[in-house]
Amino acid sequence: MLEVEGLKKTYKTTKAVDGVQLYLNKGESVGLLGPNGAGKSTTISMMSTLITPTSGDVRYNKKSVLKHPDIIRPVLGVVPQEIALYEELTAYENMRFFGKIYGLSGRKLENKVDEVLELVGLSDRKKERIKRYSGGMKRRINIAVALMHEPEVLIMDEPTVGIDPQSRSYILDMVRKLNREKGMTVLYTSHYMEEVERLCDRVYIMDHGHIIASGTKDELKSILSGEETVFVEVQQMSLKLVEQLVAHEAIQKVTEVEKGYKVIATKGEDLLADIFKLASTIDVKITGIHVQTPTLEDVFLHLTGRKLRD
Amino acid sequence: MWTVFHLQWLRLKREPLLALTFLVLTVVFVFFLAGSQGVQTITIQTYSDELSEAEIDQWLERLNQSETFEFEHNDRSEVEDLIRMSEISFALELGEDHYQYLVGQESHFLGTANQHIEQVYRSQLRKEEVKQRFPDLVIEERDFLKMDIQALTTNSSDNNDIVTHVITGMTLYFAMYTILLSMINLVTEKRSGTWNRLVFSPLKKTSIYLGQLTHYFCLGMIQIGLSFYLFYHILDYNFGSQYFTIAMVLMAFVFAVVALGMLVMGLVQSPQQLQAVIPIVTTGMAMIGGAFWPLEIVSNDILLFLARLVPIQYGIEALKGAILYEQNVVELLQPISILLLMGVLFMGIGVNLIERTK
Repeated sequence: MLEVEGLKKTYKTTKAVDGVQLYLNKGESVGLLGPNGAGKSTTISMMSTLITPTSGDVRYNKKSVLKHPDIIRPVLGVVPQEIALYEELTAYENMRFFGKIYGLSGRKLENKVDEVLELVGLSDRKKERIKRYSGGMKRRINIAVALMHEPEVLIMDEPTVGIDPQSRSYILDMVRKLNREKGMTVLYTSHYMEEVERLCDRVYIMDHGHIIASGTKDELKSILSGEETVFVEVQQMSLKLVEQLVAHEAIQKVTEVEKGYKVIATKGEDLLADIFKLASTIDVKITGIHVQTPTLEDVFLHLTGRKLRD
Repeated sequence: MWTVFHLQWLRLKREPLLALTFLVLTVVFVFFLAGSQGVQTITIQTYSDELSEAEIDQWLERLNQSETFEFEHNDRSEVEDLIRMSEISFALELGEDHYQYLVGQESHFLGTANQHIEQVYRSQLRKEEVKQRFPDLVIEERDFLKMDIQALTTNSSDNNDIVTHVITGMTLYFAMYTILLSMINLVTEKRSGTWNRLVFSPLKKTSIYLGQLTHYFCLGMIQIGLSFYLFYHILDYNFGSQYFTIAMVLMAFVFAVVALGMLVMGLVQSPQQLQAVIPIVTTGMAMIGGAFWPLEIVSNDILLFLARLVPIQYGIEALKGAILYEQNVVELLQPISILLLMGVLFMGIGVNLIERTK
């Protein structure tokens, strides 16, 4: 349905996006995961015809949207990262305006405003000015205005940045509902891996302007199938223990986490016994230990050596 | 285009403070500056050592038939005190068949006053002479020669020239302020992301620009229109009869200012910087362009050259031409064309800069 081919964007000497390839099938929910500065926003800006790429193409139903932006604009809904609303106007007025620019009018427009407000759970606050809304409410209206024309493809650029867990959960449920119940194709960019894991069928992992991995969640996690993640909880943090762990031939990476360490090691070894032995030799008391199945965060860490939120 | 246009009005309706402030400022400034320049009567103190009270009253009655001067009677000693204290420049001593001045300092009113006084005395003395020559006859005054004097406009006096200058200068200056400050919205929209929402909607970019710019254009026109309406009613100011020409001049001027706004937005892209730059640009141009004082009093060649580069100078010049001298569009084609040319030039460069820095 939507294909991105070798998309590049260079600002003077900086390559913001370098040869990105991705596709979206109809009704799919696809995640674009990457840390800040990975090039996610630039990629979606090019996909939504906002900026012109240095090279490459974006095709919607086999037609180049760069040559014919008019073919994608009416069917595309974009939720920008920033709160792109007229804050001095009410939610109702904002939605009416954005509905009108997509050609809605009269009864149809009014019905759509009511329907979308109901969807985002702000029907009772529609006559309030946006500037008086909380951060979470602003985010919901920011999404709502992109839904006014019932887009076929919804591109969301980090739509939950800086909001409370309750609003975030509401938004994620709403996006899932749009995808599952209304069949809307969703491209969801985020640096919160748990959001992408919860919402998306397929994931692209992006870093430094490149797609470094792609596939279904299981496919990506299988990159780490030969490895396991062990959380070691200690009574007191010890630099010596870290040195000992790093020196172990099966252990690939040790990172400090709250109250202990996260250890990524090759599967099949008697790792747990070794960890206990190493700790006891340097008098470090282990208060807890558990083995975790790999997450996308672990995949990203494995691929880049960095955390998603670094 | 109209959806974007209507939205801007809705936004203005929600936050009208800026536009209203500048409308009020225009009226207040013009009221005080132009009001103080309004039609004034010049009071001239008189005294007499030789005439009786009744004779003095008769002379005063004759002299006070002028609308420009008001003659008051006083004692010689008091008049001398007033002159000594520099409260008046001169006084008039009335005689039976002559008059003379007691002058403390030079006054540019003296010449004009003398014309009037001389005319009154000459006329009265002539009548006296006729009466003396024909003492037995009853003399009746008749108008043998009736003159009907028609001025080009009722505003063409020096005094109204100043009032017109204040009205046009201040109105255009504050309209520039309102337009440019309102146009910061355009930059804010780009920052907030609402502009991007419009760009990836099915709207054409020309429609987005036209919707926005038409709004700023109408805002400027309405402010000037309302100001002129208030001056017409409050100051009883006469705008002459060239309403169409005035409208054309205003449209050309407001177009040039909106285009200037686009140029400024293209050069300075932060709302905070614009808040500082716009007052400098607006006030600077108004000063150079002669909104605060007539360019006739400026003798510096560089300043006069710079004045030719700013739209407000042509706006004031053309408006004064239409109001004071009843010039029509054809006669004012030069300043109107220059304003339009400036508008096209500023708009072209401005839009390019804005689009390039996107």
